[in-house]
Amino acid sequence: MEARLEGVAFSYGDRPALETGDLRFAAGRVTALLGPNGSGKSTLLRLLAGLERPRRGRVLLDGRPAPAARAAVAYAFQEAVFLSGTLRANLDLALRLRGLPAAARRARLQEAAAACGVARLLDRPAARLSGGEAQRANLARALSLRAPLTLLDEPLAGFDERGRARLLAELPDLLRRFAATVVLVTHDREEALRLAADVVILREGRVCAAGERRAVFAAPPDPETAAFLGYALVPADGGLAAVAPGALRPGPGDFTLALRVEEVVDLLSGVEVAGRVGGERVAAVFPPDAPAPARGDRVVVGAPAAAVVAFPAPG
Amino acid sequence: MSAIGEGLLEALRLVVRGDAELFAIAGRTLLVSGTATALAMLVGTPLGYLLGRARFPARTLILAAAGTGMGLPPVVAGLVIWLLLVRSGPFGGLDLIYTKQAMIVAQFVIALPLVTAFTAAAIQALPPRLPDLLTVLGAGRARAFWLLAREARLGLLAAVIAGFGAVVSEVGASMAVGGNLAGDTRVLTTAIVTETSRAANERAIAYGLVLLAMAFAVVIVLTVVQQRGAR
Repeated sequence: MEARLEGVAFSYGDRPALETGDLRFAAGRVTALLGPNGSGKSTLLRLLAGLERPRRGRVLLDGRPAPAARAAVAYAFQEAVFLSGTLRANLDLALRLRGLPAAARRARLQEAAAACGVARLLDRPAARLSGGEAQRANLARALSLRAPLTLLDEPLAGFDERGRARLLAELPDLLRRFAATVVLVTHDREEALRLAADVVILREGRVCAAGERRAVFAAPPDPETAAFLGYALVPADGGLAAVAPGALRPGPGDFTLALRVEEVVDLLSGVEVAGRVGGERVAAVFPPDAPAPARGDRVVVGAPAAAVVAFPAPG
Repeated sequence: MSAIGEGLLEALRLVVRGDAELFAIAGRTLLVSGTATALAMLVGTPLGYLLGRARFPARTLILAAAGTGMGLPPVVAGLVIWLLLVRSGPFGGLDLIYTKQAMIVAQFVIALPLVTAFTAAAIQALPPRLPDLLTVLGAGRARAFWLLAREARLGLLAAVIAGFGAVVSEVGASMAVGGNLAGDTRVLTTAIVTETSRAANERAIAYGLVLLAMAFAVVIVLTVVQQRGAR
């Protein structure tokens, strides 16, 4: 299913919340909505689900207005909410509301619960699930619907570090098996890179960049977006140069910086050496077998040209 | 023996003897207050649901009115209904004054704000994303209403208990619009007033105890249902 926003603007009362212009979510692809808190990511998801109506413009799912096409949408909210009763009853209700017969419901429910690792919890009251269990159950409910458009609002929120890492590793396969077009919200760059083929970056309710993830990550359109993506911004040639995260290595490169070392952190897999350039914290990772510099030393670090984006001074 | 002790004995004697007047008054009380509460539920539950869920300009005003109505003195409600139903009033032609129907209307007015406000509070206490979830899953309005009401059943039963408790124990409105006619509109509360004014304290106490026992029996049934739902 293709989702399309045409000149959409949305406000909460008098407060503008989102102004997307034209935006397309390609059929069969996973798109990550990436942006800081309050950037309008969840609002965009609610518009796609037909839970909000735009003040201006149209939200179309395969050409039909979003509220009318709601039956084609599965939505896992950021906070897992359940009705009273067991997890099985909750998952069954979702499928029943979609009009599935009993036998199909049983099979779908079991399959999604097993895939999401909650099969053993099916007969437990949903209200008594722990944070991580509830989030997995929330995901299982959305995926069991096998909807043409699946919306996931921060599917990895509420997990401890280990649980998050496990689900992050499992999610691509789950989405391949149970979902078609997926739009997921995250404010984590790594999650977007691991899960999505396309990325839409939002800031203060506006789309800063949209497209294939490699293209978006390699060419942030402005310094603010670059900073959000983890680029280090350093003064260069009267403007700014944005250096991609993890791109700096010891020794000169196409783009070279001299650093006075302020921090040395042993990460076991390498040594992070950080200093400041033009007030900006800049870090390079030294291999574990290389001699690590000490605080106060001056070191030269460099990055390949492909990892650097130049922003000339305005005017 | 104390008046209360004698009242207790008299109550026991009346119940055991199957006193016709007592049973008629108690039955009438249940009929009037039960009907008024049921009607208040019928109107107040959907209204409270709407106030709990929807956002519209007059919402706060209606909620404030319901809140104020919760403290409405029954005698004032009785006076208003009396003014409306009395022969010279706007609805005098309906010929309802000094009937059980008039008492039901008055008690409905007393119970409605309680049921509405309790329902609105119970619906508002549900997780805010729950209605959205049901909408996205494709529950129609009636289905969503039913599912959310089921989730809020503890609060809704509290609404019934509050509504019934208020009307079964009121005396002012029933006296004003019912007229306390023996064998017709006399209920337990107005009968207590009558017996006290006649200095028939034992019978008044007996009626009081029966009223308490009846209210307790109804509330205990509702509480059992409510607490089963809490498990």
